[in-house]
Amino acid sequence: MSVVGRRFRDGEIFVPEVLVAARAMKAGMEHLEPRLAECGVEPAGKVVIGTVKGDIHDIGKNLVIMMLRGSGFQVIDLGINVPAQKFVAAIQEYQPDIVGMSALLTTTMAQMKVNIDALRQAGALEKVKVMVGGAPVTRQYAEQIGAHGFAPNASAAVDRALELVRERKTMQAGAL
Amino acid sequence: MTGRERMDVAMRMGIPDRVPVMCQLALGHYFLHAGIDPLEIWHSTAAFGDALITLQQRYGFDGILINLPGREPEWRKYVASVEEQDGETVIRWKNGWYTVAPPDDLPHVYRENGTRYTPTFEEIDPEKLFYIDPHDLSGLKYPYSWGFENNPVPRGRDFFPEWHWDTLKYVLERVGDEVSVHAEVFSPFSQFMELLDYTSGLMALMDDPAKVKACLEALSDGAIELGRGYARQGAHAILVSSAFAGGGFISRQHYKEFVLPYERKVIQGIKAEVDIPIYTHTCGAIGDRLDLMEETGTNGIDTLDPPPLGNVEIVDAKRQVRDGMFIKGNLDGVNTLLLGTPEDVMQAARERIEAAAAGGGYILSTACSVPPAAPPENILTLREAVESYGRYPIAAARGR
Repeated sequence: MSVVGRRFRDGEIFVPEVLVAARAMKAGMEHLEPRLAECGVEPAGKVVIGTVKGDIHDIGKNLVIMMLRGSGFQVIDLGINVPAQKFVAAIQEYQPDIVGMSALLTTTMAQMKVNIDALRQAGALEKVKVMVGGAPVTRQYAEQIGAHGFAPNASAAVDRALELVRERKTMQAGAL
Repeated sequence: MTGRERMDVAMRMGIPDRVPVMCQLALGHYFLHAGIDPLEIWHSTAAFGDALITLQQRYGFDGILINLPGREPEWRKYVASVEEQDGETVIRWKNGWYTVAPPDDLPHVYRENGTRYTPTFEEIDPEKLFYIDPHDLSGLKYPYSWGFENNPVPRGRDFFPEWHWDTLKYVLERVGDEVSVHAEVFSPFSQFMELLDYTSGLMALMDDPAKVKACLEALSDGAIELGRGYARQGAHAILVSSAFAGGGFISRQHYKEFVLPYERKVIQGIKAEVDIPIYTHTCGAIGDRLDLMEETGTNGIDTLDPPPLGNVEIVDAKRQVRDGMFIKGNLDGVNTLLLGTPEDVMQAARERIEAAAAGGGYILSTACSVPPAAPPENILTLREAVESYGRYPIAAARGR
């Protein structure tokens, strides 16, 4: 999937091709995952992800999930229309490295800030890195609302997620 | 010139007295700013017509896009109850379905089991398709039926109920002499994507292209019939809405295969009966396919999202299309209209006018629709911009 991601990023292939590749990867992973678990292979990182409250669009989020899984991440998909409390609860339950939030609409991207504020209030923001994305979301907006990471497309999301996992591990090592 | 005359001249590549201004407003913008109950705007022909006219007049736009069809006058007889829940309105219908209506965005219809219905690609029979209206009051159904009657509608001229034209008629009666009134038709590709969930729709292009093409062929017939119907009722222009045909979704090759032939068929089919301007709205990254869009026979391109939302610089677009198509758009609806200041809007509008308006064929507009929460003072600035910088004659920008 890293080849698929690179070709998608470079505009050589588009969403239908990525979806078909991801379907093939998923079929393959069903056979491989038990073997990888037996061998003690660690995931590249753990991500909890969802489309924010009020937004029922999932294609962007699903593309990011496919790319992340293809790059060895463990991904917990919270689905669509996810309220802030559910993100907070998922952090407590799964202890991820990253929380990903997606929004397609200008009306719902404001919910990302609501979620980040809720994570801060619950004391969860120090434990995870927050990544945001979606059609109307820009790097500037991501910085403005206090997100740690932003990616303009699903392929770039993998690169940024790998960086955030490294940053988080460095932070944790420094805190010890 | 009236707004109607000004728009007509610009859409036919002539030079009006000044650059026309007309934005498509997100339906949520009407809900928040028209001063009319959002539930009424969504469900009632007259309320939506009044909302369209109110904001056109407030913002000084030269045109109105009718982006919801007329509604069944007796829609209330299907309502069981209306309640408020967590800041949203929930309409419970007598058949057990319910609509969740946020205050600032499109309502969605759920079945009694709490899911939104979409058929699978496998169960679709192309021969049962004609037109898919994603904004029908009862959501999507397959085979298609209107409202809550659940009687599948046969293909053909009687597919669209008489009340379907009512919003257009309502607006034309009130402002049609002064304002350019446009009606919206969904492209075959958009209808197909709306019918299935987007993931299934996009994978179908790879899995069974022949069946997809049969579906698109059938959906073209309905789009032609709808466009002709609007034209017969007096629409001044038709917008072909084709949101999924940009580079954010499909390749240029897939555009050639699954979009171009069917949009061309729709445009030719409508124009065979009434020669009114027809233009195309495609979101996101379309910079690599403006030539293909022109091959559809469209008279103009709406949107032209600039970076970072899309990839179109207005100077390049104007150079590419020359006098072949009019351009409407290119203002960043999110970063300029929603998040910017009136000064930002004025600067961005002035840049577009200076880059694209010389020689005519340019309509000042946001690329995609104006977001629901865009501050009204930002939108009002667009009219100020065309009054200040959009009076013809306008000199061509250097380098063109």
